[in-house]
Amino acid sequence: MQNRRAKLILIYIAFIGMAVAVLFPLYWTLLVSTTTKIALFEKPIPYITGFVAENYSRPFLKDLYGGYLLNSLIIASGNAALVLALAIPAAYALCRFKIRGREHIFFWLITNRMAPPASFIIPLYMIFSGSVFRGIRLMDTHLGMILVYCIFNLPFAIWLLKGMIDAIPVELDEAAVVDGCSHLGILWKIIIPVAKPSIAVTAVLIWLFSWNEMLFASVLTGTRANTITCGVLKFVTVVGIDWGEMAAVSIVCLIPAAILVGVAQKHIVAGLSFGAVKE
Amino acid sequence: MHGTELKGWGFLSPTLVVLGFVGIFPFVYVLYLSLFYYNIFSLRGIVYVGINNFRKLMNDPKFMSALSKGLLFVVVTCGVEITLGLAIALLLSKKFVGRGVLRTIMTLPLAMAPVAIGSMWIVITRPAVGPVSYWLGKLGISYDISESALQAFFTTVIMDVWHWTPFVILAFLAGLTSLPREPMEAARVDGAGPWQTFRHVIFPLMRPILVTIVFIRIMDTFRIYDEVWALTSGGPGTATKYVSIHLVRLVLARQEYGYGASMSVFLLYLTIVMCWVLMNLITRVKKEVYAE
Amino acid sequence: MGRKIVVLFVAVAVLCMAIPAYATTDEWWKKAGAPYKGITLKGIGQSTPPSEVVRDVIAPEFEKLTGIKIDFEVQPWGVQYEKVIRDMDTGAGIYDFAYIEQDAIYAFLQKDWLVDMTKIWQEHPELTDPDLDLADFTKFIEYYKDPATGHIYGLPFEAFLKMYVYRTDLFEDPEIMRAFKSEYGWDLRPAIDWEEYEQIAKFFTEWGKKKGIELYGHTAQAKTGYQALPYEMVESIWPPWGIYNWGINLNNWRTSVKNGGNLNGDLAKEAFRWYIDMLQYAPPGVKTYTWDEEAASLAAGIVAQGFTYCEFLGGLLANPEKSKIAGKFAVTMPPSSPQSMNEAVRGLGYLGYYDGASYSILHAAKNPLPAALFIQFIVRKDFAVEYARRASRVVRKSTFASPMLKELDQQQGGYFTAFQKYEFLFAGAAPLPMHLVIIDIYMDWISKAVAGEVSPDDALDSLAEEIDSTMIEMGY
Repeated sequence: MQNRRAKLILIYIAFIGMAVAVLFPLYWTLLVSTTTKIALFEKPIPYITGFVAENYSRPFLKDLYGGYLLNSLIIASGNAALVLALAIPAAYALCRFKIRGREHIFFWLITNRMAPPASFIIPLYMIFSGSVFRGIRLMDTHLGMILVYCIFNLPFAIWLLKGMIDAIPVELDEAAVVDGCSHLGILWKIIIPVAKPSIAVTAVLIWLFSWNEMLFASVLTGTRANTITCGVLKFVTVVGIDWGEMAAVSIVCLIPAAILVGVAQKHIVAGLSFGAVKE
Repeated sequence: MHGTELKGWGFLSPTLVVLGFVGIFPFVYVLYLSLFYYNIFSLRGIVYVGINNFRKLMNDPKFMSALSKGLLFVVVTCGVEITLGLAIALLLSKKFVGRGVLRTIMTLPLAMAPVAIGSMWIVITRPAVGPVSYWLGKLGISYDISESALQAFFTTVIMDVWHWTPFVILAFLAGLTSLPREPMEAARVDGAGPWQTFRHVIFPLMRPILVTIVFIRIMDTFRIYDEVWALTSGGPGTATKYVSIHLVRLVLARQEYGYGASMSVFLLYLTIVMCWVLMNLITRVKKEVYAE
Repeated sequence: MGRKIVVLFVAVAVLCMAIPAYATTDEWWKKAGAPYKGITLKGIGQSTPPSEVVRDVIAPEFEKLTGIKIDFEVQPWGVQYEKVIRDMDTGAGIYDFAYIEQDAIYAFLQKDWLVDMTKIWQEHPELTDPDLDLADFTKFIEYYKDPATGHIYGLPFEAFLKMYVYRTDLFEDPEIMRAFKSEYGWDLRPAIDWEEYEQIAKFFTEWGKKKGIELYGHTAQAKTGYQALPYEMVESIWPPWGIYNWGINLNNWRTSVKNGGNLNGDLAKEAFRWYIDMLQYAPPGVKTYTWDEEAASLAAGIVAQGFTYCEFLGGLLANPEKSKIAGKFAVTMPPSSPQSMNEAVRGLGYLGYYDGASYSILHAAKNPLPAALFIQFIVRKDFAVEYARRASRVVRKSTFASPMLKELDQQQGGYFTAFQKYEFLFAGAAPLPMHLVIIDIYMDWISKAVAGEVSPDDALDSLAEEIDSTMIEMGY
């Protein structure tokens, strides 16, 4: 009994400690988003004193950040849709089909996901701006960004989904084949429904990656497809750094992602096993 | 395993087409560029230099320094994240009131954009006026990441730990909650204490997921750019200019496309080697554990 | 009757002459833009107030008048020029016109990336604003002329000086003046040379400590790992100590003393050591400051004297909503060593930095002609005062004559008066086509020294060596 009580206290200490550690920087960002620029040269005040609404209204209403949010939404959602459409069949193929060199393909996919993004910048810029293949104009387009994020998201999704699909017993497939199902039918009627939570988790994680990505977005977009992370970058560099506005934009950038992740978090826990855990 | 190979390729081909376009082609181009001296502002134009770029790379003290700093960062950060993550996951694996709330809170750092995280940490760690610096100052500790290379390094470590340990905890929790009950019951019946249970029962069973998470974290910390760039721009001097940051600045700011391409090729090669070693480890561990 | 007609005629004639032929009429713009109606121009500018004004105010106005659409992108400093360079290098032709900062002009001219505007005006008088008045531009336009032909490759859009700002309320406070005089023996006033500057800095920092208030005697943009730091050295510290053109010998493109430069000479080293030493008198976070925080620290009232790019005056320092020192500061010439002042006055050197940018037409532009029209629209006289008001930028002499400017001058610490008086002592960046590559190397070594990784002397020696070998590698 004593042991159990002590353990419980320990757990709650860890609970509070963790919650504070995680929430403190976020709280502070919220705080900063309510202050003025020069207030940041003074001693820190740990509670909200005033509320400078301009920090929120100026970027989103008067400036273009509202548009950036929309672009981020389009690109992230478009990419999630495309990746799922490609990854589900691909993962299915890698699990259930006797493809020669399966392991090698899988390995190559993973290296794409793990490669330093910096390595791809210049070639992608050249391809997108049309200097390599005439006629390709993907620069500063939503489609261009959706394709670029496939480099990392597609392998990642395939990896996650392969783990899930491997866990689905082959007997289910075979039963469907006996019933006269084609492969597409198996995919549609068996695999997808069973793996639905994993698919949802995969979708959320890749959406998150696209939403938060900055390096490629800033190099490969201009006016039409600038994302919200480029917006934050605009604050980090040079003239007119308004920390209050930057904090405000960061918070707004966080909200959709946080909601999505929060809603899916129960399944994320299950989905993060990457096939390393047998359900 | 029941499909014909052809149909399999059919399902796989759209993926290969897309990745061929955005993945393979750029890689080939980078390989090609790495054989040239190509700096936009050079008067010499584009000059074929064969493998000289690679020779230069191996003798480049700045690159080696960036590489070693990057690797040190990987080792320290992953070490902290994995140990801390595992310990907290073990603690939280018991059911308690508010566990769901805590889990939700812990997904927040995961949801934040890296560039926003870096910017957020600048404000917190501002010398003298940021809350952390201010309160540490009150305790008599002088905290200034624009002055001290060591403090800057550890601040980047802490920043990454803040960002990813929740993810690690959640992943380990997933592993822990799906462990079979019998071995642990058996251990308890045998009178094993918590540490022994951990060492002989839990840890071996957790190895697959442990190695997987270690793999992901190692590769991701090796590539880090956004957050650290936003926080320190490479640190006091070059103290936190890890290898990815070094490469990006070389290409974007110094316009060294040829040399940058060779650096990219080298890093890709390193990535492939690290992936190969770690993935083999995962497969081996998985086989061991599930054979029992 | 005849006399009445004559009187009427004379009256009308006088009236016509009295109407200021100042502004080019809307009619003219409409007619000039008519052949290009419906075209979309793509441009890129910097994310600073004046360029944002171009995007939000001027472009829509132009569109309304001429029917030519403007797709105008603003990006922060580093991102913006990187994009322009890539566009030019790949010949992609994404942008028609771009914001070209003065320090980059030499690189662009050498690579032939800009369109000759003088030629456009010669060949297309119908696209030349009758009120363009090239003579009205300040000497800043000289930087955008090809030295060989005198042709113009961009129209100045904004220009400002980096000057010395000091707190009039503190410098004129009797208690402070007494304390200073008793400690240093001379009457407190803005510093004329470096020793005076240092004494004033030390005084105010100690005063702040003594009085327990947040006050320092110096500020800087010393963020290591960021370009602001090397720029401060090459723009504002080395020239008034006597080291010009970044320590590079422009005849053979070398920096080390043994090759004919003076980057690692005794004078440069002394100046660099002085700069690093002075950081002790700046607010504690000074090594995280970029040019933006340098100005903001002044605006927050915690610094008694310092340098700033005067683009920050209008929008920040003089703005009572954003600054604590509105109305309490003055602007004047930076301190200098007697030798460099001597050389500057004789035209052999310069004391400070003349910053600014133009809008220019890029050579791969799809629509160079309407772009030329738009650029003239941006820099037209009647809008120039608005730039001065929002961000203290002046590129035309006529702007100084405007009555509104007299008022602004008072609000902005006498900047415009100082500008006219001292303009001849300031110069833009050194003519270095490989500027963008080597500033990064300067940043590396100067950052290392400021961070304490190497000593200032060693840093300059290593820097000079690396620059020289890079120059050779690039073919200079």
